[in-house]
Amino acid sequence: MAKFVLMFNKQVIQEFPLNKGSVTIGRNEENDITIENLAVSGFHARVDKTGRDYILTDLQSTNGTFVNDKKIFSHKLSHGDNIIIGKHTLLFLAPELQAEDAEADSGPVDLNKTMMLDTERQRELLAKQEKTSPPPKKPEKIGVLSFLDGSKVGEVELKKKLTRIGKASTSEVRLSGLFMGSTAATISKRPTGYTITFTGGLTKLKVNGEVVKGSIPLKDFDTIELGSYKFQFYQKEVE
Amino acid sequence: MLIKAAGITDVGLKREGNEDAYLMDDQLHLYLVADGMGGHLAGEVASKVAVELIAKAFKRWSLAGTDGEEIFGDIDSSLSTQGNYLLGAIRLANRVIHEMAAADERYQGMGTTLAALSISPSLVVAANVGDSRIYLVREGQLERLSRDHTVVSEQVEMGIMTQDEAAHSPLRHVLTKNLGSAEEVYPDIFELEPSNNDRYILCTDGLTDLVSDEEILDMTMLVKSPDNLCRDFVDMVLKRGGHDNTTVISIFLSGLDERQTGVLKKTGTLAADLWFGLRKGLKKIKP
Repeated sequence: MAKFVLMFNKQVIQEFPLNKGSVTIGRNEENDITIENLAVSGFHARVDKTGRDYILTDLQSTNGTFVNDKKIFSHKLSHGDNIIIGKHTLLFLAPELQAEDAEADSGPVDLNKTMMLDTERQRELLAKQEKTSPPPKKPEKIGVLSFLDGSKVGEVELKKKLTRIGKASTSEVRLSGLFMGSTAATISKRPTGYTITFTGGLTKLKVNGEVVKGSIPLKDFDTIELGSYKFQFYQKEVE
Repeated sequence: MLIKAAGITDVGLKREGNEDAYLMDDQLHLYLVADGMGGHLAGEVASKVAVELIAKAFKRWSLAGTDGEEIFGDIDSSLSTQGNYLLGAIRLANRVIHEMAAADERYQGMGTTLAALSISPSLVVAANVGDSRIYLVREGQLERLSRDHTVVSEQVEMGIMTQDEAAHSPLRHVLTKNLGSAEEVYPDIFELEPSNNDRYILCTDGLTDLVSDEEILDMTMLVKSPDNLCRDFVDMVLKRGGHDNTTVISIFLSGLDERQTGVLKKTGTLAADLWFGLRKGLKKIKP
């Protein structure tokens, strides 16, 4: 069923299923969806179900109604539309509409076929994305090993996709010890994050006190032990 | 280290042509899978050019031990030499396909995905562009070594869409990256240490559209040889309708333990030497 998700400052406040023919939105308590904020008019907007579509109408509100950053008077809602009323956002969710829209729009295009975004469609899609969700461009993160114990001090940034830890001179992190493997362990950056793997030698690898014989994913502030060496792993944001 | 690999490509039940291509260099242990797109024969051309060019450039640089200057494009300092050879080869193929498309009307808009895996005894490099995937099965677990470059998977990463919505979205086949459409390409590249009994799978979306990750894991664990695995995958795809071309390369690693047993042997001999030495010494002391 279609529904609205009321949000303020990116926080979800409440969900409203659209189970009536008409739903009103405003500051007045008689509305189906009441938003208590001075920027919202008493009766601000209305949504009517017509056939399978939902039509949003602005009730000549003082501050206007916006859909995906565009001011509207009336608007046919699509799955994922962002409705801004005052300082609040109503997210319209109707996955069933999305499937039907796609079928109607795409016509004879074979959706099983892989395609590259053609530039016009790409611009449209990207433009839409930028408006509906200010792209949360994730800052690049880099793993860091911070020495807690042993003869070394300081930090090592894991700048490489694969960091080798061990006795060999080719190791990015070089450790000594009679039983230290030439490559005792490796840390590699994978699609899911950093993974540490035990690779050999008589010195045991421990993560958070547990012996690791294969691979495990690393989480922030995990402690890693190799013989008398002890590190802490964490990730920091880089430019 | 023993590497057994097998590859297969199947046109499927609905398509007339096969726009997929694959290449295995068993000497250098380089494995490539590509899924071409573009009208008429352009898709077939793009995928074929991609795998052949990448293999050729990678081979030339690897055998010559080429250093930074001669590799196509800037060196990526986060990668090994082997990784940089693969990255350079992918960039080169991209540029060639891009220029072919610009020069010849018949090739306009052509492009291809790519999944590439290079294996050496101490390093595995995985690179991909588009939605062809690379899987690793190790110790009973399946891990993706590639990232899908599609509109929906990027939305999943941003948290706008769930995995389930993405699998059913009409936009699931729309790529944000491929080889050929832009002058520059930025593949995802990962490096890891190989481990004994690793099994790797490279495949086009003909497989992943119809066979889930869980099924891929189960099937990979069950079989004895890479040939059987490839055959099983294609059989499964055809049973489920085979709406697209399907290409799979399976690679099984074994005999990688030698390094570790080597260390043990060394320590063993050392202990034995000490023991005999000690006995000799003791004998001398005895009157």
